[in-house]
Amino acid sequence: MRSTLILSVCCVACIVAGGVGVRYGAEVLSLGAVMPAVADPQDGSVADGVYRNTYFDLSYPLPAGWTEGVAGPDPSATGYYVLQSLVPKGELSATILIAAEDMFFASEQSPSLAVMTDTFRHAISQVDGMSIDAEPTALEVAGRAMQRIDFSGAGLHRSLLATEIRCHLVTFTLTAREPETLASLRLSLNRLATAAQGRAAVSAPPCVRDYVVADNLVERIEPDVAGATFESIPVRLVVGADGAIKHVHVIRASPSRRKALETALRQWRFKPPRIDGRPTDIETGLLFKSAVAAR
Amino acid sequence: MARDDFARAYSLTTLSTILLSATLLSSATLAQTAAPSATQSAAAAAPATTGTAANAATASRSRGPVDPGLRTGDPGAGDGLTGLTDTEKQYFEVAKDVFQEVDGVAEGLGPRFNLDACAGCHSQPAVGGTSPAINPQVRVGKDANNVIPSFITEDGPVREARFVRNRDGSPDGGVHALFVITGRADAGTCKITQPNFAAELARNNVIFRIPTPVFGLGLVENVSDGTLEATLAANAGQKRALGISGRFNRSGNDGTITKFGWKAQNKSLLIFSGEAYNVEMGITNEMFMNERENDPSCQLNAIPEDTTPMEAEDTASPAANYQNDITLFAAFMRLSAAPKPAGATPAPAAQAAASSTVVASADSVLPVAAGTNSTSTAAAAASPSATATVDRGRQVFGNVGCAACHVRSLTTAKSSTAALSNITFEPFSDFALHDMGQGLADGVSQGGANGREFRTAPLWGVGQRIFFLHDGRTKDLNEAIQQHASRGSEANTVVGNFNMLSVDDRQAILNFLRSL
Repeated sequence: MRSTLILSVCCVACIVAGGVGVRYGAEVLSLGAVMPAVADPQDGSVADGVYRNTYFDLSYPLPAGWTEGVAGPDPSATGYYVLQSLVPKGELSATILIAAEDMFFASEQSPSLAVMTDTFRHAISQVDGMSIDAEPTALEVAGRAMQRIDFSGAGLHRSLLATEIRCHLVTFTLTAREPETLASLRLSLNRLATAAQGRAAVSAPPCVRDYVVADNLVERIEPDVAGATFESIPVRLVVGADGAIKHVHVIRASPSRRKALETALRQWRFKPPRIDGRPTDIETGLLFKSAVAAR
Repeated sequence: MARDDFARAYSLTTLSTILLSATLLSSATLAQTAAPSATQSAAAAAPATTGTAANAATASRSRGPVDPGLRTGDPGAGDGLTGLTDTEKQYFEVAKDVFQEVDGVAEGLGPRFNLDACAGCHSQPAVGGTSPAINPQVRVGKDANNVIPSFITEDGPVREARFVRNRDGSPDGGVHALFVITGRADAGTCKITQPNFAAELARNNVIFRIPTPVFGLGLVENVSDGTLEATLAANAGQKRALGISGRFNRSGNDGTITKFGWKAQNKSLLIFSGEAYNVEMGITNEMFMNERENDPSCQLNAIPEDTTPMEAEDTASPAANYQNDITLFAAFMRLSAAPKPAGATPAPAAQAAASSTVVASADSVLPVAAGTNSTSTAAAAASPSATATVDRGRQVFGNVGCAACHVRSLTTAKSSTAALSNITFEPFSDFALHDMGQGLADGVSQGGANGREFRTAPLWGVGQRIFFLHDGRTKDLNEAIQQHASRGSEANTVVGNFNMLSVDDRQAILNFLRSL
């Protein structure tokens, strides 16, 4: 049996959010806010009553009397993250789910904040007994462009608020028994802020779709992946302005494959990325598909 | 195995039904006195069911909903698909008989085994189902002078045992059969001993699996990969707000989706049959040729022990006369009908045309006037109030997000068997793997599924199952729902939604589930 590794490059349409998208060979999707040197989406946590996520440059002071809920699953094979669940102390009368989906690997053909919200609205409208209480609406929350939709069913009132950060759809799903509680939870999102907390902010690299193509690759080392099982492995890379790999994030893989991919990818070299003629770090994604040639 | 030897064929189902009825009648009496009045009224509106004292006591403490308990009456399962041709019906009936055969060592049983007949494990509520109320492993184990492991009890679930790790710490995950043939009159000089389960339990190294029902699996087998992938993607938006993702287990040979088993580890019903015949009963076959126990003193038969007959067997089906057992097991599963929900209308005849045919639907739960049914429980089940709460339960089941994974319906592709072609059926599963968290984790990897991932358990027929979850840890549906939530589980948000519902709506979901 012969094992082969097939590199697939993510192919998704350009999304420009917040008016800062530019084009450079491949598609530049957004210029991010600030970030520390190395962080991954799932690295957020609650401390001192505040949820902080440095990758997304988010901080969210929990409503009074709230705490962490039960931790969610590991990142999925499609780049979906359950970042944090939050619940009130005492009786369970409401919940908050903070999640993110990597738009490089989303199932939608043309993912964008508006498209994804419309898709969500359609899905919810198809659920028997569910009503749309407020149609998708664009709004600004704590300086961030967001989409909001309200819906309810079975005595549970819910709001989904979504924003785009670093080519991820970041969502806040608020659920409450009482509409008044839901309204107060929505207001609590006005306290969203940067995670930098006064520290010197480091600019997040712009996320660029379709940068991992043969024309841009200078050196490629094949990962030593044993026991291929037709598994698709999503990966995010930060490519330095000099073309060297600055960070590898294997989103979902077995430990052995994660190690093999990290080892190989750190040795890859690209043509130095340039935006508007200037060398710059970029963040991009790629999807490994391993397959076994059975005959 | 000779097809004409059914002398010891299982009458277990009959026995189980009698014992179960006696057990549950007494339980029902206790449940009525223990349940709080608020939930009694809601539970009383459930379909024909019999409650349990334990369930009611739990609810009494928590003032929560009550699992109405095992639905009694017509099993609504175990027959062949509607629309089978006469030839196919004959084939199915012979296959069903073979599925019920009890095997001895001469037929290949052992050297290590968990039970001696397919229908011993797969018997509730009918042949092809799951673990019965009275565990036959106790009797069969004692018959062979085996020590009955502590996790096997008369009123507990049929179980297989897997060890998580080997002694050196490397992953194991394989089935370690409970019993040996040593000591049986037909076992010759075979001298092997059972695994030391007590020691492995002390090491916290044993996990369990109970039998999955096999009703309607031909329908599942005939769903295309494209349909499954589209179904998983279709509600991706809804799942995004629920913390759910999911992925498929896939065959290492061709990359196609695998669907069968607790972790969707088996590609086809034939592989499922061959593996189970070898692993659960120790019978080598043309799919799994080799004995798992290599002690020379126990190699009592030529292999494979189940072979394709070179001369016609004498059965009622010419098509079955030249088939080996595992092919007939697969045929029984493939041609068996989906479980019917309570009060379901008869399934219409299958159509080979492109248009889809709907088999017995949970929508067709209809009130039946009192007195039209021969038993009072069945009449109560079909009362208008029962229908109302079941309908509400179905709706709330979708509203809170259960149906995001327990997807109600799928449609088969065009099949060479007309009764399986273009059929819309209701398994209540997406057949995808989901991370179920540390609480349900068994630490066993199978194919692409890791130690925390399980296939969405199909809920069709759940109203007539006694034991729930992969290891049969509970008989209480409400407890089974709660067990879906733990650190790392994709179901945490949905269980949170369930727990925020009113008691009546939670009760409606339980009643709906018991109607399936």
